[in-house]
Amino acid sequence: MFLAPAALYIIVFQVIPLLQEIYLSFTRTTLLNPTRSEWVGLANYAHVFSSASFRQTLLTTGVYVVACVVGAVGVGLLVALLLNGKFPGRGVARALITVPWAAPGIATALIAVWMLNPQYGIVTRILRALGVPVGAGGVLDDPAWALPAILATTVWQLFPFVCVVILSALQSVPAELIEAAEMDGAGRLWTFRVVTWQVIKPTVGLLALLMTIWSLRRFELIWLMTRGGPLGSTRTLVIDLYAEAFDAQRLGTAAAIGMVGVLISLIVIAGSRFVGRAAERTPR
Amino acid sequence: MIRRFRLGVTARMLIVLVALGLAVFPIYWMFTTALTSDADLFGSQPRLVPDFSQFGVFIEAVTEGRTLRWLLNSTVVATGTTLLALLLGIPLGYALSRFSFWGKAGLALLLLFTQMLPEALLVVPLFSLFRRFDLLDSLPGLVLANTAFVLPIVALILKGAIDGVPRELEEAGRVDGARPLGVLLRINLPLIAPTIAAAAVIAFFHAWNEYVFAVTFIFSREIQPASVGLAGFVGEQGTALQTIMAVAFLFTLPAVVFYLFAQKYVVGGMTAGAVKG
Repeated sequence: MFLAPAALYIIVFQVIPLLQEIYLSFTRTTLLNPTRSEWVGLANYAHVFSSASFRQTLLTTGVYVVACVVGAVGVGLLVALLLNGKFPGRGVARALITVPWAAPGIATALIAVWMLNPQYGIVTRILRALGVPVGAGGVLDDPAWALPAILATTVWQLFPFVCVVILSALQSVPAELIEAAEMDGAGRLWTFRVVTWQVIKPTVGLLALLMTIWSLRRFELIWLMTRGGPLGSTRTLVIDLYAEAFDAQRLGTAAAIGMVGVLISLIVIAGSRFVGRAAERTPR
Repeated sequence: MIRRFRLGVTARMLIVLVALGLAVFPIYWMFTTALTSDADLFGSQPRLVPDFSQFGVFIEAVTEGRTLRWLLNSTVVATGTTLLALLLGIPLGYALSRFSFWGKAGLALLLLFTQMLPEALLVVPLFSLFRRFDLLDSLPGLVLANTAFVLPIVALILKGAIDGVPRELEEAGRVDGARPLGVLLRINLPLIAPTIAAAAVIAFFHAWNEYVFAVTFIFSREIQPASVGLAGFVGEQGTALQTIMAVAFLFTLPAVVFYLFAQKYVVGGMTAGAVKG
């Protein structure tokens, strides 16, 4: 009774579409004529894996995800540790830090594009003033700099969530233990390692997993800032999938790309469980 | 020793201020750009503080163009999504927390699994589903699609909250002759009201910010939500940058203000729902 409506809903809007997507990945189907699809077996997968551009997409996705996770968790952890001490205005500081996370992705993309404007963007102006040679097309037009620019924007967007969650985990670090460690003459870093880190380690691990999944899914920021360009340098799996479906109108290949993404997510989750368990078993 | 300690605090405060500055600056810059004259915008030096004599931009952005309509459409979609997600999510969370039934573990796993599916993946099959049922280019269709994506997180957050309600309270209610629905409505709901509020905020702003479904399913300009309307500005010639930034700011402001007020509950709910799963 309680269950049926929601379960039915999830089946209709998530499970059936997913199954359809799996089916599509084995067919040749176009967006304009989706009813006339032709079974092609593994041809889409073969096509995808044999194309050099898809290998670049995989590489870009890997770089993007790893850098996002390291960046967001690293910055978030650092800022959380800084905000954890007692200082005047701490409440305000903790509230303000969540602002990027609350800002809509579309607005973030718009302001990022303007700040990176090749002529008048504030970041471009600062970079030029610092003597960094920014080309006439700006950073988003430069295959070497577009991905770093998008990464910086993503980390800006994601780190507040990490920060806020770690702050709440830090509440459960027993103050007596820190005091005891300091009494024993332990330095700051050492105290962090033996006390604080042990308490927040599981939280940091889960956040890393969450950031991995979130950055694998991230779409609108990249789509609006570069559409995957220049020269495919920011084309992640999700961008590739959407462009393949709605620009190139090849639903079958798009579905195959999507399946690769889902498989990667599953491997990441399974892997993290495995690593987590192994870590628990390892005596320190 | 004391001197060194003080210096440490000052340095720390400085780093905190820089971090906060970097966090807030883009939003500030949105506001400042909206309030900058053309001459200053394209001058050799950027204007760093807002020029309030340009405030007319905000009034124009609201009164002219489609901004108000966009924001209204977004509000309709977000409200509809929130209500539907709660209507389906509260019973689901309750069932997951209190009942044991066949396939429960599988369902919980499915909820977690759906959280990692990108919208871009399901947008194609949903597109053909919606075409068959005439839900394309309609706000109700968008509500249905968005709800599918927030329902799992809403249900998981509420499950966590209901787990925390002592069973004895429910038993007392049952002795008084209440049915399961009555127990849920009269005993559980009031106790988990803050978490429901958090779940509502999360659902509302997911739908408020959502872009992929909106841009794919909505074609008519009259029913575009603000995310699509704003995205249309990218690369479009002719609209003044100040107007774009003013609209972007108006779109951002409610989300940020709402989060600041609900922060405590939202963070609690998100951590419980997302991190613990």
